[in-house]
Amino acid sequence: MGLPGLEFAAAVFTDPAVIGLIVVGTLVGVVVGALPGLSSSMAVALLLPFSLYLDPIPSIAFLAALYCAGTFGGSITAILINAPGAPPAAATAFDGYPMAQKGEAGRALGTATIASVTGGTISVLVLLFAAPLLARVAYSFGPPEYFALAVLGLSMLATISGEAKLKNLIGGCLGLLIATVGIDLTTGVDRFTFGVPELLDGIHFIPVLIGLFAVTELLTQAQHLGRETRVVTLAALKLPSLADIRGVFATILRSSGIGTFIGILPAEGSTVAAMIGYNEAKRWSKRPEDFGKGAIDGVAGPEAANNAATGGAMVPTLALGIPGSATAAVILGGLQVQGLRPGPYLFEEQPALLYGIFFAMLLANALFLVIGLIGAKVFSRLSLVPPALLWPSVLVLCFVGAYGLEQSMVDVWVMVAAGVFGLALKRYGFAAAPIVMGLVLGGLVETSLAQSMIIFDQQWSGFLGRPIALVFFVLALGGIAGAPGVRLLRALRAR
Amino acid sequence: MTRGDDNGRGPHPDTIAGIVLLLLSALGFWLTTGFREVPAMLSQNVPPTFFPRLVLGLIAAGGIGLAAGGLRAPRLELSRLRPLVFVTAGFVVLVPFAIMLLGTLATVFLVSLGLPLLWNERRLRFVVPLALGMPAAVYLVFTVALEVRFPTGLAATLFG
Repeated sequence: MGLPGLEFAAAVFTDPAVIGLIVVGTLVGVVVGALPGLSSSMAVALLLPFSLYLDPIPSIAFLAALYCAGTFGGSITAILINAPGAPPAAATAFDGYPMAQKGEAGRALGTATIASVTGGTISVLVLLFAAPLLARVAYSFGPPEYFALAVLGLSMLATISGEAKLKNLIGGCLGLLIATVGIDLTTGVDRFTFGVPELLDGIHFIPVLIGLFAVTELLTQAQHLGRETRVVTLAALKLPSLADIRGVFATILRSSGIGTFIGILPAEGSTVAAMIGYNEAKRWSKRPEDFGKGAIDGVAGPEAANNAATGGAMVPTLALGIPGSATAAVILGGLQVQGLRPGPYLFEEQPALLYGIFFAMLLANALFLVIGLIGAKVFSRLSLVPPALLWPSVLVLCFVGAYGLEQSMVDVWVMVAAGVFGLALKRYGFAAAPIVMGLVLGGLVETSLAQSMIIFDQQWSGFLGRPIALVFFVLALGGIAGAPGVRLLRALRAR
Repeated sequence: MTRGDDNGRGPHPDTIAGIVLLLLSALGFWLTTGFREVPAMLSQNVPPTFFPRLVLGLIAAGGIGLAAGGLRAPRLELSRLRPLVFVTAGFVVLVPFAIMLLGTLATVFLVSLGLPLLWNERRLRFVVPLALGMPAAVYLVFTVALEVRFPTGLAATLFG
């Protein structure tokens, strides 16, 4: 990454319109994160079609700010109504809500804000230095290495949720299958198009994302409609004291490191990071018995980790083209739609874009420090918006967004189908994120496998001669079979 | 939403999901047999069926694993979906038809009015401004600012 990129990015970021977009992205992100049921993945998917009307740098900067702020926004409702606005904030509710019940909502929100900003900022700095290094390593990758890396990324889906390992892997494969629709680039043969000309270019992933994330959630909300929530009043925003901050500082630093590392792992996202951040905060605490009853470390740990994961997740997304989380997968898709090629060459071709993303994420972190400390009371009122008024607006955005992309009704039908299909999948325990991951990676997986097979003259054993690819395969196998293998060994030893 | 009470009477949900995946894989495989054949020279020995069949095979293997796991697992029945979920799904499916028939802005109005009423929101002082404001916002932001040309619908074509 050269200085010219930095200069160009600096020029872009002195443009008030770009700054304004990042501010809007941050505000929208916090609002979306604070609204139960709406997640940052959904917000990024919903707003992606509209961001495409912008130039690449403002567009991706807007989405990156939205991603960071959406992850933070979830903590507001997690603390105040015990309903995490987004999945990464689930662990925050364990101690944030008990704190709020004890009249310490302001202290919990303030701690969450400071932990989030610290975690997010540290991870962006890691992104700034680690991504170019990783990209330099990736220069030597050929199709076999990329195929193995994509397999590793997909195999990490198995570790997202211990209960649903197999289902996550199947979900990833379903995404890969959807990505095969359209003309095969090698032979020009159309596949699974059923005579519909609009499908020759393949199924656009944005309507699928909108369907899976937003329409499915709308139908889920219909199931839960009428549930009462108890809002804890935030009479005065009593910020955490200096002693509080000093007390949780080690937890914040540790969780920032954990979150950044978890984020860098392909497919692992903020939710996993938050859970590990919470568990580690508890494990290192001198008073673990206080956890679940309103321990301040129980708020700082997951919040620092889940925000640190946002910067971490962007490292493989930008350097390798392998998404670090579901939302990063959507941003990766956004880069592709903008005609950019995520991966090591992005650092050569678009250094300004990369600096743009770094700046946007840093600015978003600084902004939600202000928003979190001053505006928490206002944002907490968002949880009072009745779902019956909120979701019609989301549904309208879904239709407008899906249509606006290519101005095609086929995209609208794809979105509706994905939404209804997503509900059936969710009911049987399949998550949307693995499908999205498979869909976004589908092109890379198929192309790199086809090229590898051509290089190896149809011999799978050719992969044995590629040490880096082999390492990725072994790691993938470890990810899939690791936990069952350990269980089996323990069982054998017990016998 | 995904899990209900123990001691369900029917097969385990994972068994059902596994069987559905197996059927889906079989259907997918059958569809790949209809792909146009290309000379090996052109496809460089990687025919268009290669990758889809590989993925379908993985899905089928996963389906078998899921079904087998479901057979061994304790009985479980999914909680029932409320009728409102089906009604809402029907409403969502009808929206594209409404767009083609009535046009986008009229449909946005109907969605903004209909969905709150369907979800038992009776405070018209909130619902009516939403129903009037959404089409106006869509028109200003998307049609005027972003120049998205929305379908005007059959009705507009017939009477316009």
